[in-house]
Amino acid sequence: MRKGFIRKIKPLKILTKEQVEAIHRGTLDILERTGVRFEDEEALRFLENSGCYVDYKEKRVRFPSYLVEECIRKCPSSFYIKARDPKDDMRIGGNTLYFMSFAGLRTCDLYTGETRIPTLAENDEAVRISDALENLDCFPSYTPYFEIEGVEPCMLCPISTASRIRNSTKISRSAQVADAPIWDIKMAKAVGMQMLGNMEASPPLTYSEDATKAAFKFGEVGFPVFIAGGGIMGATAPATIAGATISNNAEMLAAVVMLQLIRPGIGIVANDFVFPMNMRSGGPRFGSLESALHQIIFNQIWHEYYGIPTVNAAAGASNSKLADYQNGYEKMFVALTAALSGANIIALHGGVTAELSYHPIQAILDDDIAGLVGRTIEGVEVTTETMAIELINEVGPIPGHFLNKAHTREWWKKEHFIPKVADMLSYPEWLKKGKKTALEYAKERMKEILDTHKPTPLSEEQDKEIDRILKEAREYYKKKGML
Amino acid sequence: MESVLEELKKAVADYDSEKAVSLTRKALKEGLDPLKCAEVLIKAIKEIGDKYEKGELFLPDLVAAADVLGSAMPILQEEIKKTGKKVESLGKVVIGTVFGDIHSIGKTLVATLLTAAGFEVIDLGVNVKVSEFIEAAKKHKPNILAMSALLTTTAPEQRKVIEALEKENLRSKIKVIVGGGAITQEFAESIGADGYAATAPEAVKLAEKLVKEG
Repeated sequence: MRKGFIRKIKPLKILTKEQVEAIHRGTLDILERTGVRFEDEEALRFLENSGCYVDYKEKRVRFPSYLVEECIRKCPSSFYIKARDPKDDMRIGGNTLYFMSFAGLRTCDLYTGETRIPTLAENDEAVRISDALENLDCFPSYTPYFEIEGVEPCMLCPISTASRIRNSTKISRSAQVADAPIWDIKMAKAVGMQMLGNMEASPPLTYSEDATKAAFKFGEVGFPVFIAGGGIMGATAPATIAGATISNNAEMLAAVVMLQLIRPGIGIVANDFVFPMNMRSGGPRFGSLESALHQIIFNQIWHEYYGIPTVNAAAGASNSKLADYQNGYEKMFVALTAALSGANIIALHGGVTAELSYHPIQAILDDDIAGLVGRTIEGVEVTTETMAIELINEVGPIPGHFLNKAHTREWWKKEHFIPKVADMLSYPEWLKKGKKTALEYAKERMKEILDTHKPTPLSEEQDKEIDRILKEAREYYKKKGML
Repeated sequence: MESVLEELKKAVADYDSEKAVSLTRKALKEGLDPLKCAEVLIKAIKEIGDKYEKGELFLPDLVAAADVLGSAMPILQEEIKKTGKKVESLGKVVIGTVFGDIHSIGKTLVATLLTAAGFEVIDLGVNVKVSEFIEAAKKHKPNILAMSALLTTTAPEQRKVIEALEKENLRSKIKVIVGGGAITQEFAESIGADGYAATAPEAVKLAEKLVKEG
C-alpha cells in the first residue's frame, strides 16, 4: 500500500456552514429544474427507470433532490484500489493525500521552451522516471504524452496504457474516449490490477455518449471511478467562483447519481479542474488564484459535507513555457492550498506550457514540491520527546548547543525536509561546482534514475497478452474505419 | 586485550562518551599502550569523517563523534605525556569569535570539525578581545589563528587582530583564516587574511591546505 501523506492538521475551510448549505441548495435547484443533458439513449432510459425525469426530445434528465442526496450517501468516504504490485495499492479518501502526475500533449526543450512530438521510447522513459519518483503515486489517462510519434489518435489511449503498465507498477486512470475503456479493462485484468475509471462531463451541464458508456463499463467491472468536469469560468461556467462551483457541482453530482445507480457503493473520487478564461486569448488561465479558491471550497463541500474523496488537478498546469520561477510558484501555490483544504489527490508532476507539454525533468522538480506540500499537512508532532524541555534546560545558554545531542541525531532526520534537487550549496562551493541550478540537478537525477531504476517487469505471458490486446484494438478500430 | 580496543572504536561509532571514557580507563589499567589507544580513536573518527564525505553521515554525527574524542583523548594525552611521547597532530589552531560578537555555534562547529580532522584546537570562546587573541598566539604558538564574526559591525575586529599580529611580529609565523555570516572572500582578502571558508567543512579543508603549504 502506498503511504502517501497523512493529514494531521485541521483542513482549511473558508466557507461558513450556511454558505456551504446555500451552494448545495443551489446545486439541487439546477439538477431538479434544468437538469443535465445526456447524449446517450441508453443512459436516458437507465436514469428514467431509476427515478429521474427524462425529456427524450431535449435529451434532458432532471434529478429529484432526494435521489441526489441518497446517492451522495452511498459513496464510500474512502476506497481501495489494487495495483499489479501490492506496494502500489492505494486507499483513496479520508485524510490521506496522494500525488498524481500531470500530462502534456508533447515533450519540450526545457531551456528554449520549444515543443515537439515524442517517440514511444521517450514515453516509456518518462513513465519509468515517474515510477521511480517517491512522491508520485499514480497516473491519469494518456500520460505522460497524449501525442506519440507514429501512433494514430484512436490507438493513443491503448498504447499509452500499455506503456504505463509495462514501465510502472503504479495505478493508472483509464480514459473514456473512443472505447478506450474496453482495452484498458482487458489490459488491467491481464496483469491482475484495477484502474481508476473515468467519467467526464462536457460543461455546461452535458454528458457525451463516451462518458456514460464508460460509466456502464467501469460499473460493470467494479473499478472505482474518477469523475471530472472542467468548466471555464466566464465561458462554460459562470465567471464567479461561487457560480462556477454550483454548475460544476451539478455536473459532478449527476455523475455520482448515475454511478451509484449503476453499482451502489462504487468508489468515486471527484476531480476539480476549473479555470478562469483568459479574456484576451479565450484559453484557460492556468495556475490561477481563482482555481485555487475554487479547489478550496470544492474540497470543503465534497470532502466535509458530501464525504466523497477529492482530486485537485489545477496545480498540474502552469502558463509558463519553461521550468522557471513562474512555473514553480504557480504550482506550489495551487498545490499547497489544495492540500491544506483536504484534497485526497493532487495532480502535479511534469506539466509545462499549460497542457501543451510534459517533461520528466519537470516531474523530478515537481516531486520536491509534492514532498514539501505533503510534509506541511503532516503538521507538527508535540510530545514530551519533541518538546525537548529537559534538553533545553540541560544545554542552557551559549556556549551550549544542540549539535552534539542524540536528540538532534534522531529528530533532524525525522523532521527536516531535504529537497532532492534544490541547490543548497554555499556560495563558494556553488561557484566551484559550475553554478548549477535545480534544473541541472534534476537533469542529473533523470540520468541516474534511467541508469539505475528498473520497474518490476511483466511476466512473459502478461507481456504477450498486452500485445494481443493491442492487436485486437487495432482490428476493432480498422473495422470501424478509424484506421 | 584486542576486544577493549574494538569496543573503544565502537563507542566512537555509537557516539557514547561515557563508555569511551570508561573503556579508555580500562585499557590503561590493562596496560595497553596509550598511543595505540589514541590511534584507535583517531582511526574511528576518520571513518566517520569518510562517511560524512560520502554523504552517508551528517554534521550532528561528526560533532557527536568529535565530542567522544574530546572526552577520552585528554585521559590518554596525560598518560602519553608521562612517556615523553606526543600524539601526532595536523597542527595547532587557536579559534574564537571576535569581540562584540557572542555568536558561538559556527565557531564551535569549525572547532569541533578541526579536532575531528586531527588538529589540536584551542577554543577561546566568544567575545574574544584582540589582546586575548594575541596572548593565546604567544602562549600556544599555533599554526593557524581562526576568527569568526557573524555581524557586519563586528567583522572589522578581524582586521584589528591581524594588525596586532603584525605589530607583535607574529603575523609571518601564523596563518590567519576567517569566516562567519558577515565575511566574504573579498573581505578576507581586503584585511589580509590567508583564507576564507563559507562552511565548517570547507574551513577544515582550508586549514589542511594551509598547513600542508607551511
